[in-house]
Amino acid sequence: MNNENAWRFTIIGSIVSLLAGIVLIQLFRIQFNPKEVEHFLEQSKIYEGDWRPVYPIRGRIYDRYGHEMAGNTTVYELGIQLNQVKNPHTIALTLNVLLGLDYAEVNEIASREPSDKLIYAVVANNVTKEQIERLEKYKEEISRVYSGTRGEDTPSLAGLEYTPRLARSYPEQEIGAGILGFVNQEGQGFYGVEAWYDDLLAGDPQWVFIPRDPNRAEDLPNIPDGASLVLTIDRNIQASVEEILDAAVENNGATSGTIVVLDPQTGEILAAATTPRMDLNRYWDYSKIFTGETPFNRVVSQAYEPGSVYKVLTMASALDKGAVKPDTTFIDTGMIEVGGAYIYNWNSGAWGPQDMQGCMQHSLNVCLAWVATQLGAKDFYSYMRAFGIGHLTGVDMAGENPGRLKIPGDADWYDADLGTNAFGQGVSATPLQMATAISAVANEGKMMAPHIVRSIIENGEQFNNEPRLLGMPIKKETAQTLTDILSRSLEEEASDALVEGYRIAGKTGTAEIPTPYGYSSSATNASFVGWGPVDDPQFLVYVWLEKPTSSPWGSIVASPVFRQVVERLVVLMDIPPDRIRKALTANN
Amino acid sequence: MNSVRSLTQAYSQAPWRKQVKLIVLSLLLVVFVALVAGVYLSVTARAATIGREILLMQVDIDEIELEIADLNNQLAVITSSTEMEKRARELGFEPIELDQSFYLVVPGYTPREMARLAPPPSPATPVTSAMPEGYDESLVDWLRQRILTAGSILEEQR
Repeated sequence: MNNENAWRFTIIGSIVSLLAGIVLIQLFRIQFNPKEVEHFLEQSKIYEGDWRPVYPIRGRIYDRYGHEMAGNTTVYELGIQLNQVKNPHTIALTLNVLLGLDYAEVNEIASREPSDKLIYAVVANNVTKEQIERLEKYKEEISRVYSGTRGEDTPSLAGLEYTPRLARSYPEQEIGAGILGFVNQEGQGFYGVEAWYDDLLAGDPQWVFIPRDPNRAEDLPNIPDGASLVLTIDRNIQASVEEILDAAVENNGATSGTIVVLDPQTGEILAAATTPRMDLNRYWDYSKIFTGETPFNRVVSQAYEPGSVYKVLTMASALDKGAVKPDTTFIDTGMIEVGGAYIYNWNSGAWGPQDMQGCMQHSLNVCLAWVATQLGAKDFYSYMRAFGIGHLTGVDMAGENPGRLKIPGDADWYDADLGTNAFGQGVSATPLQMATAISAVANEGKMMAPHIVRSIIENGEQFNNEPRLLGMPIKKETAQTLTDILSRSLEEEASDALVEGYRIAGKTGTAEIPTPYGYSSSATNASFVGWGPVDDPQFLVYVWLEKPTSSPWGSIVASPVFRQVVERLVVLMDIPPDRIRKALTANN
Repeated sequence: MNSVRSLTQAYSQAPWRKQVKLIVLSLLLVVFVALVAGVYLSVTARAATIGREILLMQVDIDEIELEIADLNNQLAVITSSTEMEKRARELGFEPIELDQSFYLVVPGYTPREMARLAPPPSPATPVTSAMPEGYDESLVDWLRQRILTAGSILEEQR
């Protein structure tokens, strides 16, 4: 080495050594300074990876025979990466033509200047797979045709992106809408079983760390799907009942209609139809269909004054307590005074001497008010509470209304209420409450808890929901006596509710509608409740038509609807006519 | 003194030999570092590839899950009551009315069964290990167990 250049190497060596020394010192400083360590660890964690939520697939909903009522399907979120957009016009025009989106709106979004806060904008949700396939094809065609062209006006769909996700799907569309409820874009259940069992259906989402370092790539945990539900409803019965209800509402000019079908021996709801209904796949139409105070499911959410169908409960209570007997005679003078209020019959007539069957058959308000006075207020309301009036039934559907039963001691209860409550005025209940209460009469005095979920499938096992006794408000003998009275009543008045070959028990109801100025006589609630076959009840049907214009009477409007429902039910449920059933039982 | 110098000279290496030795040692070091780096790179690359494959498989799983859900949904749609009714009508069937029906007892006919989409819950059984004891105890535990057993046998014999 030339001595003349040695000093140069010495200087370079010193500088390199100094730099190395500085690096070493810095290394030691960082390594042994806890604050620095913490700071750098935090910094590194930011770039280490992402914590992302992993949502389980929402559980499915089936009818009692395993037909899918609610499942999941792939939909796409369509968005625009603003910093990649080359031609907003092409994007807006394409989405307008292929998806029917508003040109001006999309053009405005696509023309936005990207910034630190805005780099992506959503233009459409719930885009179907077919639409995305068409879009994809068109995108390929554009890039093929204009691949070599440059310039601002060159058509381009650059920036257009779509992300798949699972969304709720209802293959039966409107059928059973009130029962099912719906799920919004965020995956939250509303109304019906979707809301009641939301946590169970949705499953447990988990946060999972996704490292950016490929060496640390880890398998995502296997998150179990949400639980699936098997309902008690039969979709064929549900569809038939909805068809009959829609026709009845239209033919009778009613504001709305409701039909509940339940198995009185188990409390299983076989069908629950109501109007209006919506296609659950289009949940965004909710506010257009359910305007004002229109409830989503009148079966559980709308309490109303039921009118004469309530007489079943009054008579059941009086017979059970022994306040009256079937052959007790009441002389109907056409008017009775209870607590200072005068009560008249539906036709304002006097019906003379009547036994209890006559009172029920002719639906005499005066007689039933008298029966309630014979029972006494204390016992009357005690029985009503036992029947569950004024309380939630506890049915597993969201939005249940408890109704209202004023009782002695309440500030707004008067002595006159005993007389009016006896025939279903001044007391409100939901159709399901009424059906549940009256099912005690159908089912030998036993009132079963109404329920809509038959089984829950979770972690690969099916758990059955066993029938549960709600209470026994009346004795078996009382139930049989009243069933017999109501059955003979229908037969003797040749009711429109009768179904050939099957013995049915039932009661009509016509209720005036309360308004702020008293009861309206021009608008009524027409109802009918019936069950059969009386010796082995397989179904109880409750019909309610709101404000029918064809006729105000339940016997004219609601009874035929009941018959139509039963005629379908006996076929769909394979219930043989009484004669054959008895012969089969005798042979066995 | 001369003899010491000549002895040292005789046993000392030539300068070029020293340089060759240094170069060979340096090369050996470089080769060793290269080998270690090569192995490290190979392992890292394989790990990265497998990591990437796992990610891709995860994407595949997600896609397959979406596809399964879609297929289930398609099946539900084409067997929905509205579709089934439409198909039945197209085939010439119509809903039966009660007065058109005739109840016939068919021997051996079993009515529709309720949905059984999963087995019922299995009865709760106490958790027992299927593994023999020897597989989940350490050598020290095993020895201690043997000694204690032998001790108790001797105690009994006395």
